[in-house]
Amino acid sequence: MSINVRNITKAFGRYTALQNVSLEIPDGQLVALLGPSGCGKTTLLRIISGLEFPDSGTVEFDGQNITDQSARERRVGFVFQHYALFRHMNVFENIAFGLRVRSRATRPPEAEIRRRVQELLALIQLENQARRYPSQLSGGQRQRVALARALAVQPKVLLLDEPFGALDAKVRMELRRWLRKLHDEVHITSVFVTHDQEEALEVADRVAVMNGGHVEQAGSPDEVYDCPATPFVFDFLGKVNIFHGRVESGDPATGTLEIGAPGHLASGRPPAAGYVRPHELELRRERNGDATVIEATVLRIYKAGPLARVELRRRDTGELVQAEIPRAAFQALALQPGETVFVKPLAIRRFDDGMPC
Amino acid sequence: MAGAIQSNVRVAPASGFVATQATSEPALVRWLLTGIAILFLVVFLFLPLAIVFSTALEKGFAAYFRTFQDPDTAAAIRLTLLAAGIAVPLNMIFGIAAAWAIGKFEFFGKSLLITLIDLPFSVSPVVSGLIYVLLFGMQGLLGPWLIDHDIRIIFAVPGIVLATIFVTFPFVARELLPMMQAQGNDEEEAALTLGASGWQTFRRVTLPNVKWALLYGVILCNARAMGEFGAVSVVSGHIRGVTDTMPLHIEVLYNDYQFVAAFSVASLLALLALVTLVVKSVVEWRSKEQGNDQVPLGGEEGA
Repeated sequence: MSINVRNITKAFGRYTALQNVSLEIPDGQLVALLGPSGCGKTTLLRIISGLEFPDSGTVEFDGQNITDQSARERRVGFVFQHYALFRHMNVFENIAFGLRVRSRATRPPEAEIRRRVQELLALIQLENQARRYPSQLSGGQRQRVALARALAVQPKVLLLDEPFGALDAKVRMELRRWLRKLHDEVHITSVFVTHDQEEALEVADRVAVMNGGHVEQAGSPDEVYDCPATPFVFDFLGKVNIFHGRVESGDPATGTLEIGAPGHLASGRPPAAGYVRPHELELRRERNGDATVIEATVLRIYKAGPLARVELRRRDTGELVQAEIPRAAFQALALQPGETVFVKPLAIRRFDDGMPC
Repeated sequence: MAGAIQSNVRVAPASGFVATQATSEPALVRWLLTGIAILFLVVFLFLPLAIVFSTALEKGFAAYFRTFQDPDTAAAIRLTLLAAGIAVPLNMIFGIAAAWAIGKFEFFGKSLLITLIDLPFSVSPVVSGLIYVLLFGMQGLLGPWLIDHDIRIIFAVPGIVLATIFVTFPFVARELLPMMQAQGNDEEEAALTLGASGWQTFRRVTLPNVKWALLYGVILCNARAMGEFGAVSVVSGHIRGVTDTMPLHIEVLYNDYQFVAAFSVASLLALLALVTLVVKSVVEWRSKEQGNDQVPLGGEEGA
């Protein structure tokens, strides 16, 4: 089932949650809605589910306009951020709920319900917990029960609101791998909301990065990470250093960006901003006659982890710069706080030059 | 090594609140506070209760039971059961509807409705009774019309039922409201996405989630409905055997110096209170047992 969201606008009182949002979700894919809190991602998910209705715009499932259908008619599976398990029902009854509330004509016989629930319990690896109540389960187990409950009604679309938001880091990691595996087996069109870029990039087939009520960019994880369309996407998907400078020569749009100290720059050239990821910076002890390096002082060093993180302050502008260098390179440099180094950006991304990356 | 570690570990009591040095009080203060509390309970609760039962049984069981054979007493008991039997179910329906509307939806005038629900708690019961006299009494607003149509409300059973409904009307709503608000809409939304209809959602999700709070509210509502004096006294007119409820009848008997009879009837109400307490404890215990520790308890109101 493909989902097509067209020109959705939604306001709560004076606050506009979504501003003319359009998004295509191809059949069978796992798509992440990624963005900071308050960007409208959960509202968009709820509009797709039918729990919320847009002020204008349409939602289509397989090309059919279902904007006016209720959540009940849309047959979507929805997994809530805080699970929303029925607290007075045990795990078995929670999963069976969607089957039991069907009308007499479409309700499967009791034996069939039992079989289906057992199957789902096996899928979420909780066969032995069927008689337990939600309050007796861990967060990760509750999340899996919520997922099984949503899958029990064989929804056409699975929607997950911050599915791993309330779990600790390790369980989160396991569960998201498990979700990916599950999706590869079940192949149901799925949309999940997250504010964790790592989670989105790792799990999803496609990522829609949202900000301030609109979609900044949608594409595969590689596309959005390697070719961010806007400064926001670049910033949101990882750490970033911004170098303000002037375009040195040639066409203002395409000329090389000079990021040296403002005083040293040829005035009259158009200003521009360059974006550089911390791991795209090289640190050197010597200037080596290179005019494009920046002189900086080492402030702090964090050695734990696969990369050594070095916090620097530019000598010329006083701005902070973050660099991440491989441990081997760091050991060769043997930096100490307070020492002077030269920073060389290996790749600079600009968004004002109109060029695809 | 192991020994050194062990010697540093203090064995803490396995359960409950552990009094540390910082939170414990000197023995004298502890005994004094506990003593005052117990003395208070004895003087103001146990003694009166004991006196009710001892006076009722002063002349033996035969005299005690003879009281209830008196037709006026029997009528008073029947009337009380009737008033409670009408008021409690009505207030249960109203309480569920009001708590549901307030707890789950946003609408204009919501805070006004919450205030109105509390009105019977803040108004003196005598005033509540007077409201009905002013509305339905002979000189009241609707009095002439009622007389024309030969409908009697004041100094008749309908007035007593109305006054009882008014006075007991916040109990169920007040118990359910905080619970419904705390639970939010998540489970209802989940039920909707799973294909449940509005009624199915209410019956299978909303109602079971508040069943203990509901039962608790009903118990309190019933206790108050049977024990109400002030409001009922104003609208009753004290017609013996016709419009006297149990509390009113007790007063009448007492004023007639029929102490055994008065205290016998009073002992019924006291028994009701004890039963209410036991049921209430069981409800609290059951709701905790279910891991549903959100039942808001407390908030009892004086009569």
